[in-house]
Amino acid sequence: MPTHFDQELDDLKNKLLTMGSHAESLMQKAMKALLERDDELARDVKEDDEILDQLEIEIDDLGVQLLAKAPLAFDLRLITVAMKISGDLERVGDEATTIARRSIELSQEPPLKEYVDIPRMAELGRHMLKEALDSFLHRAPERARAIIPRDKEVDAMNKQLHRELASFMIEKPSTVTRCLNLMTISKSLERIADHATNIAEDVVFLYEGRDIRHQGLAGQE
Amino acid sequence: MNAPANVDAMTEPRQASLPVTVGHPDRSLPEDLDGRHPPLIHVRGLSLHYATNKALDDVHLTIREKLVTAFIGPSGCGKSTLLRCFNRMNDLIDKVHIDGQVLIKGQDIHHAGQDVIELRKKVGMVFQKSNPFPKSIYENIAYGLRIAGVNARQVLDETVEASLRSAALWDEVKDRLHSSALGLSGGQQQRLCIARAIAIKPEIILMDEPASALDPVATGKIEDLILDLKRNFTIVIVTHNMQQAARISDFTAFFYLGKLIEFDTTRTIFTNPSNKQTEDYVTGRFG
Amino acid sequence: MTARTPSQAPDPRPQGTVRRSLARGEHWIWLTGAALAVCLLMIGGLIGVVIYNGADYFWPHRLAQADLADDDKVLGVLIRSESFREPVPDQEGVYEVKVRTQFKVGNRDVDNADFKWLRDEDFSNLRYPADAVALEREEYGDFYGYLTAILDGSDVAAEGTAAWNLLRQHHGEARALAREETRILKKEIGDVNQIILDAEVRIKRAERTMAEGAERDAEIAEARVIIDQQQERFEQLKAAAAEKGEQSRRWVAVMQTVNEEEVEVPLAMIVRAFQPNQMSLGAKAGHYLGKVWEFLSGEPRESNTEGGILPAIFGTVFMTLIMSIAVVPFGVVAAFYLREYARQGPFVRAVRIAVNNLAGVPSIVFGVFGLGFFVYFVGGTIDHLFYPDVLPTPTYGTGGVLWASLTLALLTVPVVIVATEESIAAVPRGAKEGSLALGASKFQTICRVVLPASIPGILTGLILAIARGAGEVAPLMITGVVKLAPNLPVDGDYPFVHLDRKFMHLGFHIYDVGFQSPNVEAAKPMVFTTALLLLAVVALLNIVAIYIRDRLRKKFQTGAFS
Repeated sequence: MPTHFDQELDDLKNKLLTMGSHAESLMQKAMKALLERDDELARDVKEDDEILDQLEIEIDDLGVQLLAKAPLAFDLRLITVAMKISGDLERVGDEATTIARRSIELSQEPPLKEYVDIPRMAELGRHMLKEALDSFLHRAPERARAIIPRDKEVDAMNKQLHRELASFMIEKPSTVTRCLNLMTISKSLERIADHATNIAEDVVFLYEGRDIRHQGLAGQE
Repeated sequence: MNAPANVDAMTEPRQASLPVTVGHPDRSLPEDLDGRHPPLIHVRGLSLHYATNKALDDVHLTIREKLVTAFIGPSGCGKSTLLRCFNRMNDLIDKVHIDGQVLIKGQDIHHAGQDVIELRKKVGMVFQKSNPFPKSIYENIAYGLRIAGVNARQVLDETVEASLRSAALWDEVKDRLHSSALGLSGGQQQRLCIARAIAIKPEIILMDEPASALDPVATGKIEDLILDLKRNFTIVIVTHNMQQAARISDFTAFFYLGKLIEFDTTRTIFTNPSNKQTEDYVTGRFG
Repeated sequence: MTARTPSQAPDPRPQGTVRRSLARGEHWIWLTGAALAVCLLMIGGLIGVVIYNGADYFWPHRLAQADLADDDKVLGVLIRSESFREPVPDQEGVYEVKVRTQFKVGNRDVDNADFKWLRDEDFSNLRYPADAVALEREEYGDFYGYLTAILDGSDVAAEGTAAWNLLRQHHGEARALAREETRILKKEIGDVNQIILDAEVRIKRAERTMAEGAERDAEIAEARVIIDQQQERFEQLKAAAAEKGEQSRRWVAVMQTVNEEEVEVPLAMIVRAFQPNQMSLGAKAGHYLGKVWEFLSGEPRESNTEGGILPAIFGTVFMTLIMSIAVVPFGVVAAFYLREYARQGPFVRAVRIAVNNLAGVPSIVFGVFGLGFFVYFVGGTIDHLFYPDVLPTPTYGTGGVLWASLTLALLTVPVVIVATEESIAAVPRGAKEGSLALGASKFQTICRVVLPASIPGILTGLILAIARGAGEVAPLMITGVVKLAPNLPVDGDYPFVHLDRKFMHLGFHIYDVGFQSPNVEAAKPMVFTTALLLLAVVALLNIVAIYIRDRLRKKFQTGAFS
């Protein structure tokens, strides 16, 4: 029979999952705002971010409350991991807001070229985030492990885009503003992928009891 | 994914390695484990019967020197019984039958030639319900020395003071050493019992739920005391309070129905136990 | 869960005042309180009756004089009145109710009776003459009459009113001389007798153990010399005593009974002389206290019906002491063995049952056992081994304070064993375990932890043993108590404590005085007074033991509720 404590843990999990899907949708909204040059949508993103901030506070608060009950083993890992994931998700929201702001600026000027790389990066980042959250929901640390290497891809794409935009800026100084905004957006997407990676590592710790962070190549198998 | 190395690997006295997860040193353990904290007590295949009841079933365990080892488990799991084996207090109960061995520093303590009285001077015990003698505080602490034949006033004075200081009780009672020990509060009495036990300088101190009858403040003082004492004594503590075990012990053994289910570093047992039964017990989802 | 809430179900508790009160059990409070009150009344009543009958004994009552028919008079103390039925002369089967009064008239040497019953109609003119004199004497009991003169040797020294003053003047001196005579007779001649006895023993021992020859003869000769010396001394002392006696009898009081018969009473024979009708309240109180003191510290006279009972008090306390010294170690060690060392099984259970049943054996059976085993067997053996030369006079082979105490110790040992076992069981297991865990042996644990903690319980056992033992009389009668003991078990002669001597006992004294004395009426008040004293002695012993136990109990309190 589930205890009161179990119900409170479920409460925590649900809040986290809510926050997760909200962060995910916020990211998608921001990308849509960028690609469709929709300022209205972009402003929505900024407002919706506050929900994530609120959820982070709630999750942290609930976590501290539960820690005072001195939980052990899995329960202890769950609470500490939840508090960390909520931090990562809140920053995902902040990055989405950054993307939305930059897209408002970009929409003041004509589009630079067809956006190809950025949507690709966004899609990969979104996939990583979704997989990380799903692996949490479905207790599947192997799925979390699978996305960790992909962070390199996103890093590579970001570097590539920076080089391209840099040379573009040198050739056509009038595009500087637009290029800089795009670079920022690219950076944000790269950071979102990092956060997804963090979440994945946390999920592995939660379900396997192993801390695989900062291992470089050694901790991967 | 590596499962932790077999628990049985801990019981071979010659093997020094711990069942660490690959690539992960357990940062909670002290450095130079085998040098500073060699194995002291070896339990090999220990089984114990009271009449027809089997209280312990084939237990293998190693206790290391100058560390705190905790025994946890639900009521009736055999943890207190095992503790009482180490100083042969089970001899006081009728119809007890023991198979297997308990070796302390290589000597089988159930061997016919073992002097039980000498054993008990080396392996002290603190009980769940504090049991000071109806004598003065001074005489309580001096008791262990007097029965060993030490009656010199100066030696007794020095030992009494040293023991009370070690037990963090000296300042509270130094002005009333000759008043009755029964006039102390519960927490003070228990610290007195600890002082009494360490006065004869044992090597091992066994504690059977020493703080279970005390309020949280007194419990905190006892826990702090244990952490001090482990610098000089090997401590084995039975507790049903898991947070207490998590707070003060270095190694933890989980028992159930007379069997040793899991034995590992405290950190592992309480953050990531290998055995599902252990996990269920530790998170309170037992039964 | 849907249960009917308590407010919906009908109230199952009993309704109605009486029913409710019965359910609460209030009637039990009344019943138990009443039972306690009855018990207290019975105890109070017992003590009250004893005090009422006994306390009166020492008070100097007024002497009443009355006229009888034929010019006879009667002088004495009014004891009590009662109504009785007298058959009417010439009428068969018809009775008249009359009243009669008992007078204590004393003067046993004159009238042959101490007490007289007189019908109220037979005496008249009751008055209390101021100069009536009451004398307590060494022999023949009290004398009531009038002092006519004091003689000095054979001359009249004073008459009439001057005689009383002269009596007071010389009374002390005469008594002192008489005491001196007694002292010489008892102590010094007694010492002489002892030396002669010892010398005779020497002779016997020499004849028994030494070979014939010069050494033996020398020993015997030496002893004979001593005997002769002592015989001489005996004659000297006898003469000295006789002289003192003569001197003490110099002063003589000439008394007249109320019917004018003359009796001469040497002052030395008068224990106390007083004029009760003249005494003030203060004087009477002083007299009372003086008599109480004499009772407690003096020796008995007139076959135990007068005088003091110091030897009985001493004997009772001393015997109780020896009994305690015997029973406590014996009982405590037995209890410790039964509880701590013996393997608990059917045999130990049987022993325990036997010990408990021992407490139910009638005490006279113990007396018989004491006689057969201690007196005849052990005592006889001791006599043969250590005192062969005094035989056939037994030393230890006859009743004495040692055998009586040991017999009572046997009687009370079950109580001590049971009380000790209970107190050992009450020592908390934690204390014993704690001691063993520190490396103490079982024996050390018992000596240092269990025994000190069980002392209150052991003392309880001792208190019960004293209470039982001090009151038993039957076994003592066979094993060493006598009506009148010539000396105390403890005195100044080496070896100072004489465990072979017979002794007196308060309980036996009561029996003896009440039923074996020649003058039962005179002895009646003494019975009660002695009973009161026995109660006081036992109560005092118990109070001392209880006090000690309470002090120790506080010290060893286990603090279970601290």
